Parts: sequence; C-alpha cells; structure tokens
Amino acid sequence: MSDDRKALISLRNVKKVYRTRDTELEALGDVSFDVFPGEFVSVVGPSGCGKTTLLKILAGLLPHSSGEIVVESENFDIEREVGFVFQKPLLLHWRKVLDNVLLPIEILKINRKSMVGRARELLSLVGLDGFEDRYPNELSGGMQQRVSIARALIHDPKLLLMDEPFGALDAITRERLNMELLHIWEETKKTILFVTHGINEAVFLSDRVIVLTARPSRMAASLDIDLPRPRSQEVRTDPAFGRYALEIYKGLEIT
Amino acid sequence: MSLATLAPKLKTPAVILAILAIWQGAVGLFEIREFILPTPLSALEHLFLPQPDANYNWMVHIRATLLEIGLSFVITSVVGISIAIALAWSEASRKVSMPLFVFVNSLPIIAIAPILVLWSGYGLKTNILIAFLVSFFPVVINTLAGLAAIEEELLDLVKYLHGTKLQVFLKLRIPNSLPYIFTGLKICSTMCVVGAIVGEFIASDRGLGYIIINSQYTMDSPPIYAGLMLVSLFGVSLFGLVGLAERILMPWARRGVAEK
Repeated sequence: MSDDRKALISLRNVKKVYRTRDTELEALGDVSFDVFPGEFVSVVGPSGCGKTTLLKILAGLLPHSSGEIVVESENFDIEREVGFVFQKPLLLHWRKVLDNVLLPIEILKINRKSMVGRARELLSLVGLDGFEDRYPNELSGGMQQRVSIARALIHDPKLLLMDEPFGALDAITRERLNMELLHIWEETKKTILFVTHGINEAVFLSDRVIVLTARPSRMAASLDIDLPRPRSQEVRTDPAFGRYALEIYKGLEIT
Repeated sequence: MSLATLAPKLKTPAVILAILAIWQGAVGLFEIREFILPTPLSALEHLFLPQPDANYNWMVHIRATLLEIGLSFVITSVVGISIAIALAWSEASRKVSMPLFVFVNSLPIIAIAPILVLWSGYGLKTNILIAFLVSFFPVVINTLAGLAAIEEELLDLVKYLHGTKLQVFLKLRIPNSLPYIFTGLKICSTMCVVGAIVGEFIASDRGLGYIIINSQYTMDSPPIYAGLMLVSLFGVSLFGLVGLAERILMPWARRGVAEK
C-alpha cells in the first residue's frame, strides 16, 4: 500500500500501562502504524501482547497511557463509524437475531424502521437467510459469530475492528468464515483491523500484517502482503505465501 | 386434546381431590366434632348458603380480599422494581438506603401492624400497606441481583458506540434481569396474600381474613375452613398468573428449555 494516500487513522507511539498500587504492567508498548481506507490489516502476536488492548483503545473502550491516535480522514467519525466484532459473539439472548443486528441502530438513535431492510441484507450476506426470527440459543457458535458480524456492520462503519472473531470456532468453520469474511470485505469495502494469532490466517486475509512481540510488546515487523486478489485457497500454494509466513515466524522469534 | 397430553395436567387437581377425599372420610371415620374439624363439604356448603341463612355475605368479602391482594401485588411489584432500579442506578442511593430496607424487612410486620392501624386507620389502605411491607423485599433483592448480573463484556457493546447509561439499563440490564424479577414476583405473589389476610385480621371489617378471625370468636368452624380454602386458591392462582406472564414475556427461555 503506498504511503502517499491519506490514512484513515494513524497510531503514533501508542502505549498502554496498567498501574496498580505497587506494580506497573506494560500491556502495549510503543506501537505506530497507519491504516489506509479499504485496507485489510492484521495484527499478529502472542497471547498477552496487547492485541485486544489495542483494539479496545481504538474503540474508545480503554484510554491509552501515552502517544496519539490521529483520525486523518475528515469524514471519519471515530465515535460512530466503528464496528466491533468481539472474541465471543455477545448476542443478547432475549432478542431475536434481527433485533440483535439492529442493536447499534438503537444505540446510535437512528430510525429503526429504515434499517430493517439493511439488516436483512446483511444477514443474507453472512449466510443467515431465514434465521431473522430465531433466538441466539437456537444457533451454533459459528452462526452466532456471523450474527455479530452483521451487527457490527449495520451502522455502516468505515472501520471494522475484529478481535480474534473465529478463535473459539473449530478449524473447518474457521476456514469457511475466513473465506466469507473476504467476500464480505470485498462487497462492503470496509477498512478492517483484524487481530489474530493465526499466522497463515493473517497472510491469507491481509494486505498488511503487523507483528507484535511478546510483552513488553514492540512492533517486530510491518509486512505488505503482495498476493493477488481476490484470494482463493490456491494462494496458499504460492511460494510468496510461505515466505510471508516465514517472515512472521521470524518476527515472533519462533525459529 | 388426547388423554395422554391431558393426563399430566390433571395431576395437581387429582392430588388436591385425593386430599379432600381423605379429609372427608377421616372426619366421618373418627367422628371428629365439627368445631374441631368440619368436613370439606360442610365448609364449602357455607359458601353457597342463601342469604339470610348464611352468616356472611361471601361475595362482599371475597371481592374485598381479591381487591386487596390484586392492588397490593400490583403496587408492590411496581414500587419494588422501581426501588431496585433506583438502587442499581446510583451507588450512593444504594449505600444510604439499603440498610433501611433491610431494617424494615427484619421488623416483624405482624407485630407492628397495630401501629399501622393507629396511623392509617381501618380498611383497604392499611391492608395494602401491610401486604406491601411483608412482600416488597424479595422483589427488590431479586431485581437488584438481576440488574447486577450482566456480563461485563456485554456492556462494551453499548459503550463502544458511546451509548448512555439509560440505554445500558433499557437495552441490557433490565431485559437481562427479567428471570430474576419473575422469581421476586413469584415470592411476592404468595406474600401479598399473607399480608392482605393479616391486615384483615387486625384492621378490617370485611374480607376473608375478617371472616376467619370473626368465626373463631364464635367457634363457627366451617366458614374458617371455607375461607382458608379460598385464600389458598387465590394464592395459587396469582402464583400461576405470574408464571404464565413469565412464559409469555420470556419466549426465548421457553424455546431454550424446549431444545434441551
């Protein structure tokens, strides 16, 4: 991705330190990178390196301790135009699928009626046609996470934050959902920041992979993944695919 | 409806009928005198004696008791749930007033009922007040537990979109607490009946509680038992209504159970 384009959002020396009475825990140490509009960026790192913390800071759920988060694009409202897919589906069990998808609309006080059609389209996009009136406890884990993706997209966010969204699913469901995610990304042209500890998953999905080291986390690498789009499973046989994965292994010091 | 689906539903009435039959038989068999224990039939017979033979105009008393139970249940539910929401909303209010509620609840309400009569006189108002004092605490405590029982991560869902505290309550905490609220209301439904009857013992010239206490003075046993049977019928019915409302208002729970 060329740097002469204007970034959507820019992180400059962002740090997060948790302070208790007599200890300091550095959850995220000095991370700087830009995210460009329409880009698919993955953040890879070992457990506890602050990947989730990074997303929560961007979503305004946690304050950062130092550094800056700069919104570069003037028509990006970071308070309203962010979608978040959490590790767990976090569906409201008392709401039907359609009403779960519409939750952000209600919170943002947008006219609900005008969005019902869009909610149905999104459910269809994530492959849940005909499940509008089911309750979450009638769905499988994979289906629940699909609902939560539709929910994160309902208010048409420019930036989609995804925190290991398929981490809790079985490997086959996970591969299937990765394919669907690429499809959704191509359809919706969202900017996606995707946190994972799946190295192959990151290469397969991304335009760029940010590699974080273990705590105290530093950026080990920022890797442009120059593989053809749209991607299919064949891309995994590309020698470049293996080289990118190896770079990430090196960045993570798994040798 | 076939016999197979009907049979489980008839279990409870069958048990009740069996108990009444044993009671009826035992009184005859052991020649128990009526003022000690009348037969259920002679008790029930009193409900249907025409005026002026009957000692009481039952319809008037039944209506009075039903009104008290109904009003006190509605008032206690609304006030109890409101108190709990207020307590959950502000930690300061919780710290200040929770000890007060515990104090009021630990008072033997029956013992302070005479004071309440002195304050607010005979009749409906006092009886509802007594029923409220007896039954509000389980509603408050259960609702409060439900409001606090929200998964922390769910709160992030509203927070990252910069939702308000009011939205957190309306969209998350209150719907999440519904099962707890219904547990509170079920306890409340039976306690309200107790409260209303106690109120009528002390502070009323009508109602089934009044009939029970008045018949005791005159050693007229059958109306006491007739009154008791009606009171328990009302209690069971109100409990059943709360259960029905729970099933209707929480369809997701029903489907969940059906699946398992």
